[in-house]
Amino acid sequence: MSQPLRAKMGAIVLLIASLVGLAIALYAYFTPLTGVTGTLGALVAGAACFALAVMALLLMLVTGRGATIALRLLILIGIAGTFFAGLLLHQRWIDAAMVVGLIGLIIDIARPSSHARPAHF
Amino acid sequence: MPTFLPATHPRFRSVTSVLGTATALAACLTPITLLAQDQPSPQKTGSQEQGPQTNAAPIPLVPGEPTWDSFHGQLNAQKYSPLEQINADNVGDLEKVWEVHTGDVSDGHGDLPPTVWSATPVFANDTLYIGTPFYRILALDPGTGEEKWSFDTQSTLEALTQPALKNRGVAYWEAAEPDAGEACQKIVYLGTMDAQLFAVDADSGEPCASFADNGVLDVNQWNNTNAEWPLSLLQPPTVVGDHLILGWAGKDWAFEQAPPGNVFSINARTGEREWTFEVLPEEVREQSGTANIWTHMSADEELGLVYLPVSSPSPNYWGGNRTESAPLATSTTALDIETGEVVWSRQWVHHDIWDYDINSAPTLMDITVDGEEIPALIQATKMGFLFVVNRETGEDVWPIEERPVPGGDGSVEGEVYAPTQPFPTKPAPLLDQSEKPKIWALADAVSFGQCSALWEDLWYEGMYTPPTTQGEGALTYPDSSGGVQWGGVAFDPENQIAVVNTSHIVQYVKLYSREDYDKADSGSGNESGFSPQEGAPYGMRLEVARNWLGMPCWEPPFGELVALDMTTGDVKWRRPVGVTQQYGFFMPESWGSPTIGGPAITAGGIIFIGASMDAKVRAYSLETGEELWSDQAQAPSVSIPAVYEYEGRQYVAFIAGGNSILKDQVGDQVAVYALPK
Repeated sequence: MSQPLRAKMGAIVLLIASLVGLAIALYAYFTPLTGVTGTLGALVAGAACFALAVMALLLMLVTGRGATIALRLLILIGIAGTFFAGLLLHQRWIDAAMVVGLIGLIIDIARPSSHARPAHF
Repeated sequence: MPTFLPATHPRFRSVTSVLGTATALAACLTPITLLAQDQPSPQKTGSQEQGPQTNAAPIPLVPGEPTWDSFHGQLNAQKYSPLEQINADNVGDLEKVWEVHTGDVSDGHGDLPPTVWSATPVFANDTLYIGTPFYRILALDPGTGEEKWSFDTQSTLEALTQPALKNRGVAYWEAAEPDAGEACQKIVYLGTMDAQLFAVDADSGEPCASFADNGVLDVNQWNNTNAEWPLSLLQPPTVVGDHLILGWAGKDWAFEQAPPGNVFSINARTGEREWTFEVLPEEVREQSGTANIWTHMSADEELGLVYLPVSSPSPNYWGGNRTESAPLATSTTALDIETGEVVWSRQWVHHDIWDYDINSAPTLMDITVDGEEIPALIQATKMGFLFVVNRETGEDVWPIEERPVPGGDGSVEGEVYAPTQPFPTKPAPLLDQSEKPKIWALADAVSFGQCSALWEDLWYEGMYTPPTTQGEGALTYPDSSGGVQWGGVAFDPENQIAVVNTSHIVQYVKLYSREDYDKADSGSGNESGFSPQEGAPYGMRLEVARNWLGMPCWEPPFGELVALDMTTGDVKWRRPVGVTQQYGFFMPESWGSPTIGGPAITAGGIIFIGASMDAKVRAYSLETGEELWSDQAQAPSVSIPAVYEYEGRQYVAFIAGGNSILKDQVGDQVAVYALPK
C-alpha cells in the first residue's frame, strides 16, 4: 500500500461504512414491511450516513490540524447519533456499519498527523 | 341511584353508548382524543313491528366446532378458538402463507378521506369474507387468498359522520333449513357510511333480490328524529338466529342534538324490520341524541338474549340538556331477541359527561366462583373497569358499589352531576385511576417543568372529575378513547382466563362559553382538539397531556396486556404490549403502546394480537404473557385476528389497515399465517 493511501485508510473505511449505512437506510425506507418503511427516521438515518460519507471525503482532503480535529469531532458525533438512530429504528446493520465507521475514524486518528510526518528533503 | 333496572321497571315500559424520538410519542398520542368518534345511541324499548321468524336451533354458548363466522369469532364475544395445531412450542415457526392487498386505502392526502380499517375476517362457507373501507366485499379462498368474487356497493366515499372512511367488516348468515336450489340461503351483509345495508349471496356475490329493495336496505329511512345528521353502518350487524341486530354510528361530539340511538331488528332473509329498541327517554330525544350502539353486540341464543353496549348521549361533555334520568345510556342492556323487550340493564356511568361510551361487546362466559357455576358476563369499559354480572339477571358476581364522586366547581351552567358512580370491587381496575396520574420525570425534565406546570393548572379531584371552564380544564384518566377500546375481552373457557388489552392516556378537557369558544377555535379547525358541541352553551377542547416536545406527561407504560383468572377475579399477569413508535423510531418495550383492536385466544395456549403502534402482529403465551412470535405488518393491525381451520391446517388472519388515531399509517393488507407444511 502506498504511503498516501495508507494515510487515508481510516477515512476510506469510514467512507465505505457510511455508504453501506446509506444503502441500508434507503433500503429500509423504500422496502415494504421493514418496520420503518417511508418513515422520517429512516430518511434521517440515510441523510446522516450521507453526511458522514461527505465528511469522510473531506477528511482525506483537509490538512490543517484544527480543521482535522473539528472534522473528527463532527464525525464522532455523527457516528454516535446514527448508531443511536439505528438502534431505535431496529436496523442493526446500520449500527454494524457505524461500528466499522468508528474503527475507520480510530485508524484515521491513529495515523501520524501531517505535522509529525517526517519532512522529505 | 339505581344501578340495576329489572325488566319490570316502569321506565322500561315507556322508554325504549429519548429525546428526539420520544417526541414521536406525542404526535402518536395526540389524535387519540378523536377515537370516540364512532359512537352510537338508542330510543325506545322494544316496539314490535312484526312477528319474528326464527328457524335456527339455539346453539350453546361455546360452539362444539371451531368457528370464526362473526366479528368476535362467535356470538359470545370470547374470541376463542379450540384449535391447537399452533401452540407455544411451534408458534415461533409461523410463516406468512399468503397476503392480499385490496387497493382500498387512502392516507387522506388525495381526494378521499383517510381510511380506518378494523375488519375482522369472517370464515364461513369455506370462504374468508372481508369488508373494506371503500365498502366492497371480498370473498377469498382461505388457503391461498385467491379471490372468489367481489362486490362493490358503489357507496359514497364521503366522510358523512366520521372524519375517515371506516369499516369493521361483514356479517354472515345462513338458513338453518335452506330452500334447495334457491339463491341467498347464505348471505353476506355490509353496511355503508350512508347507512345502506347490502345483502349478497355468499356463494355468488350477487345481490339478494329477496332482501329489502333488491338487496339494499336503507336504514336512514328510520332516522326520523334530529334527522339532519345521517346514520352510518360501520360495524356489521350482529346476526342472532334469523335476526340482524343493527346499531349505527353517529356524530355526538359535534352537536348537542343528534339522532337518538335506536336499535333495529331486521329479518335476515327479507330485510323487514321486526322491532325497534329506543334507549333515550322520550323527553330528551329532541334536544339530545345518540346513546347508540356503535360497536358489535354479543348474544346467548339459549337464553334468547342479546347484549347491547350502549354509548353516552350527546353532546359528550355537557349534560345540561339531559338532566332527566336516562337509565339505559352508557349501559349494558340485555334484550329479548324475539321482542326487543328489556330483560335487564346496568348503567355503568350515571349522567355521562366524559364520553365514556360502553364501547365493546360484553364477553359471555361460564365461570366457577367459590364452587358455584355462574352464567356470567364481563363488561370492559373505557374507564378501565371490568364489571362482572350474571348474564341471566344482571346481578353482581363480585360486588359493585356506588361511591361518591366529585361534583362540579360551579363554573358550568345547567349541569346536574351524578353524586355517585358504580365501582367494581373485583376485578381490580385495569388502570390505576385511584389517584392523579404521576408526572413522567423524563418528559418534565426535558420540557423544563412544563408538565408540572400543566398538572398544577388542571383541576382533579379523583375519578369522574367533571369538565370545567376554569384554568386549563379538568384532567381525565383514562381518556375518552378508552382504557379498553372496542376490542374488549377475550376468554379461554377451558382455563377460565380472560385477556384484555388496555391504553393508558391522560387527557384534559375544558369547556368554553359559546362566545369564548368561537374566539378560541378561530383558525384552529378540528386538529387542535376543539369540538363545537353546536347548540349547547359550551364548546369544548380536549387535549392529550403532553409537553412541547410532544412527549406524554404521564409515566409509561402506555398500554398493557392483562390476563385475569376469572375464578378468583385476580390478575394472573400483566405486561406492556407492543411498542410505541414515531417517525419510525421504536421506544423501549417497557413503555408499551396504546392499543386499538383486540386479542384472539386459542386452545394452543396462544394470544394473537396486533393493535399496537409499531404495526407488528404478535403471539403471546396465555400462561405467562411471554412474547413468542412477531411479524411486521403494513400498518397497525387495529382489528381482531381471525383463527380458522381449512383443509386440516390452522390459519391466523390479520387485517393491517391502520387508524390515524393510533398512528399516521394506513394499509390495505390481509396477512395470513400458518405453520410450514
